[in-house]
Amino acid sequence: MLNLVSLEKRFGNLLALSGITIGFGRAETVGLIGPNGSGKTTLVNLATGMHGPDSGRILFRGTDITGFGAHRIFRLGVARTFQNLRLFPRMTVLGNVEAARYGIPGNGLLDLLPGGRRSRGSNREKAEWALETVGLQDDRNRLANALPLPRLRRLEIARVLACDPALVFLDEPAGGMTPAESEDMARLIVDRVTPNRTCIVIEHKIELIMQVCTRLCVLDAGQLVADGDPGEVLSLPAVTEVYLGPETADA
Amino acid sequence: MSEYAISIASNMGIIAFVALSAYVILVVGEISFGQQAYFGIGAYVSGVASAMWGWPFAPALALGALAAAAAALAVGVLTLRLRGLYFAIATLCFAEMIRLGLNSVHVQVEVDGELVGPDGAEGFGDIRWIFENNVTPHEFMFMIYGLLGAVLALMLLAERSRLGAVLRMIGQDPLLASSQGIDVRLCKLLAITFAGMLAGLGGCLYAHFATYVEPNVFNVMLGVHGLAYGLIGGLGTALGPMIGVVLDIGFLEGIRAIQGYRMIVFGGLVAVLLIVMPRGILDETRVHRIKRWMRRP
Repeated sequence: MLNLVSLEKRFGNLLALSGITIGFGRAETVGLIGPNGSGKTTLVNLATGMHGPDSGRILFRGTDITGFGAHRIFRLGVARTFQNLRLFPRMTVLGNVEAARYGIPGNGLLDLLPGGRRSRGSNREKAEWALETVGLQDDRNRLANALPLPRLRRLEIARVLACDPALVFLDEPAGGMTPAESEDMARLIVDRVTPNRTCIVIEHKIELIMQVCTRLCVLDAGQLVADGDPGEVLSLPAVTEVYLGPETADA
Repeated sequence: MSEYAISIASNMGIIAFVALSAYVILVVGEISFGQQAYFGIGAYVSGVASAMWGWPFAPALALGALAAAAAALAVGVLTLRLRGLYFAIATLCFAEMIRLGLNSVHVQVEVDGELVGPDGAEGFGDIRWIFENNVTPHEFMFMIYGLLGAVLALMLLAERSRLGAVLRMIGQDPLLASSQGIDVRLCKLLAITFAGMLAGLGGCLYAHFATYVEPNVFNVMLGVHGLAYGLIGGLGTALGPMIGVVLDIGFLEGIRAIQGYRMIVFGGLVAVLLIVMPRGILDETRVHRIKRWMRRP
């Protein structure tokens, strides 16, 4: 589905990613963990076209998409959520979810023209369905900036469901949530987001990763240090060292 | 209507185009201090077409608006990578270049024994289309408002469409918009070009209303006023800038007691409003509330 080949990215003197080669298969749910600054979000930014890599290639369904702009990559079927929650604050909740469909190819911008009404109707239906799926139907007419954080995270999931991508990056979907809220989010992801879709989940909450993912990759200082079954990966000394420090790992 | 009232009303209608032009740029999240340049280009080009080439009004108007749109497109392409303050300063610089450039344009031809055409800083007089065709100020005012009404209706319709939503998405978070499949640069360019055309239309009307234009009319204060009208009236709907225009020209200029102090009162009003209502009177939140209230059964 998505293959990253020898990806490298520098910000000034900082080597954010070095020589990352990794592949994600069809309908696979992969966890991506690592300490702060290990390059997780940079990897997502490169794969979704927010930044261009300094070297290396990105292939999606066999097409080389290296250097494509973010909007072109989205149109091929790659969506993402954001760690630091991005939304259109002065649009309604429903408007935000509908907006996720405006960039879909063939979903022409000029719905004032004949035929446009029909696609507007289907956008609305799909957005309503997505809101209902994540349990935000009662908030549909509120402005997005009036929602509390856990619901905003759900709004991001609704946006993903509405545009129905083949591959999605979830960047800390349970960031800032209580354990109970994280539990709900994990269930939502397993029930609604992962079926028939490749999902790459970045998260610090290991419980969520264990509930959701069938494979786990660990990044440290811009390098891939482990990749495999979540249970096995977490028991590797190298991974414990990355997460807890060398002394604790020895103890 | 007295002649004075007609001239105030006509002025309001003409300046409303500059306000709408600045508003379109504000909606996509940028601030332009240069919309007066496209007003000037529209005024000069349509004036040349009607006074020097003898074109009828409608094609002269279309040509002026097209020339302004083309100039805005060119500036838009050059400034596409700039954002925020840098974009604002760049637009101001281009506008000043055009204004100072017009100071050195001398292209005159003889029409009915008189020299007609742009004469540098001396300006461009004898744009006599309204006299030659016996158009009364009253009639011209209706023409201004007819065109303004049509433009406003088109914009209100566009705001309800997906295109309107996309422009607002870009204004609120361009990064998120691009990650949702929106070609931010293309849409911005479209907005910048359309905004240039709007200002150009205003300029065409102004040239034929005043029958005389000079480069100094298109100084930065015209653009700043256009911006201020949107910021006062509100960025939630195209009707917002109209409120700004009515408040300033219609209301403040109409109160004789503050004659001579208008700019002081206006400046204070802008400052206070921006503190209390940062996105103007009819901002997105209020427009949203009004819409919900109107939809209530």
